Amino acid sequence: MLLMTDVSKTYPSGSVALRDVNIHIQPGEFVFVVGPSGAGKSTFIKMLFREVIPTTGNIYVNGVDLLELKEKEIPYLRRQLGIIFQDYRLLPDRTVYDNVAFAMQVIETPYRKIKRRVMSVLDLVGLRKRANSYPTELSGGEQQRVAIARAIVNDPLLVIADEPTGNLDPETSWDIMRIFSEINESGTTIVMATHDKEIVDNMEKRVIAIEKGSIVRDDLKGVYGYES
Amino acid sequence: MSLSTKEYFIRETYKSIKRNGLMSLASVSTVALSLLVLGMFLLIFINTNNLAQYLESQVQITVYMEDSVEAPGLSDMKQTLENLPGVLSVTEVSKQEALSRFKERLGQQEKLLHSLGTDNPFPNSFEVQVDRPDRINELAPQIHEMEGVETAKFGQEIVEHIFQMTKILRIGGVVLVILLALATLFIIANTIRLTVFARRKEVNIMKYVGATDWFIRWPFILEGMTLGFFGALIANFVINGTYAALLSRIYATLAFLPMVPAYPMLTYVDISIILAGTAIGAAGSYISLRKFLKV
Repeated sequence: MLLMTDVSKTYPSGSVALRDVNIHIQPGEFVFVVGPSGAGKSTFIKMLFREVIPTTGNIYVNGVDLLELKEKEIPYLRRQLGIIFQDYRLLPDRTVYDNVAFAMQVIETPYRKIKRRVMSVLDLVGLRKRANSYPTELSGGEQQRVAIARAIVNDPLLVIADEPTGNLDPETSWDIMRIFSEINESGTTIVMATHDKEIVDNMEKRVIAIEKGSIVRDDLKGVYGYES
Repeated sequence: MSLSTKEYFIRETYKSIKRNGLMSLASVSTVALSLLVLGMFLLIFINTNNLAQYLESQVQITVYMEDSVEAPGLSDMKQTLENLPGVLSVTEVSKQEALSRFKERLGQQEKLLHSLGTDNPFPNSFEVQVDRPDRINELAPQIHEMEGVETAKFGQEIVEHIFQMTKILRIGGVVLVILLALATLFIIANTIRLTVFARRKEVNIMKYVGATDWFIRWPFILEGMTLGFFGALIANFVINGTYAALLSRIYATLAFLPMVPAYPMLTYVDISIILAGTAIGAAGSYISLRKFLKV
């Protein structure tokens, strides 16, 4: 699903974000990426959907060589991915339904398919009844669930989440994690960057720890390993 | 492109124009104003060009004959002149005619002619019209060499002045039209940049869910085209009205000024303005979007 070999990234400013990263993630895995702030997690995540290109090394996502990928082909890579951010990134002037349907309109899905699929995804995240609400009328947890619905509505192979529970209280965070678990159980690979010790320690999933741009740990059924 | 995608583009364009109501109005006014300046200048340019052409066409060669050439020789000469390349028409001006023209010009001071007695000092002459003004320089010396010709004149300095002036007018006009079009493009690009900036988050999200650049661009480009189109309509309305008013004034007071008639010229100007407005609107959107598409 995901293969990184000897990946390094040095920004034009000279700061080294990642150094000799080697990772292999199998289809269907659930992986936490942890580490102190500024350790290179963000760069790592952004590389997966090719917002950042490595200075050296190779990245393959679902068999696609991201370094060989042309500018024009990036949208087609991203259609196989579901991306979730800490700040939800919903469109405030559209309803919950429209925010999710948007991701399908963008890839030119026929109109009649959109409705059925959007409603079933909203069902999955428990927001069917809020379909006609606007994001500002929702709680943080609900907004993140809309963002998750949008990320998975096109059946991605890989879901990439950058601190999805960063703005949420513990209880709401667990709601989100339950949804992620469900998505993962249906076969979707999940890579999630997080600072949430409780979640990492309790989920018992693979944990990759990045410090100063290098991978310092990569354990199956790992723990968070830092003071929270 | 599927039907629902087209529908989506049109709906998005409409929503965006409505959502940015005041901004859209500002854009339309800016476009209208810029195109108005462009259109007015275009009219001035067309008319000066017309005037230049008129002045150029007034240039002719006057061939003065020696008095020794009699009637049969004159009609032979007329034929010879008519057969020269590029000659459109040859008008014969007899001694008597030249004299009476001169009398007419003198008007009240006709008495001056009495001092001439019965002698007619004017030679027989021909007025030669040519198809292109630049032919005069080669034709005049050629005619001058002909048997029986006293001299062939064409007011060389004036002609060269006119040529120089019309050349400057044409080049200057083209340069100004291009500059004005660029200024219009810049203004529209800037106005649309504001609407794009207001929606940069949306563009950003579209990129993350895998929209192609062209999918993102279309609604913005349609928006730019719509704003450009309506701006052009307003500009045309003002341009047509102004030109009609101007023409009636000029006909009333400066009738000798050769103005280009309103139609069909205005139709072409209107079409150009609408095409320019729409194209500039599209280009403006394209330019303003570039920065936001790099995610």
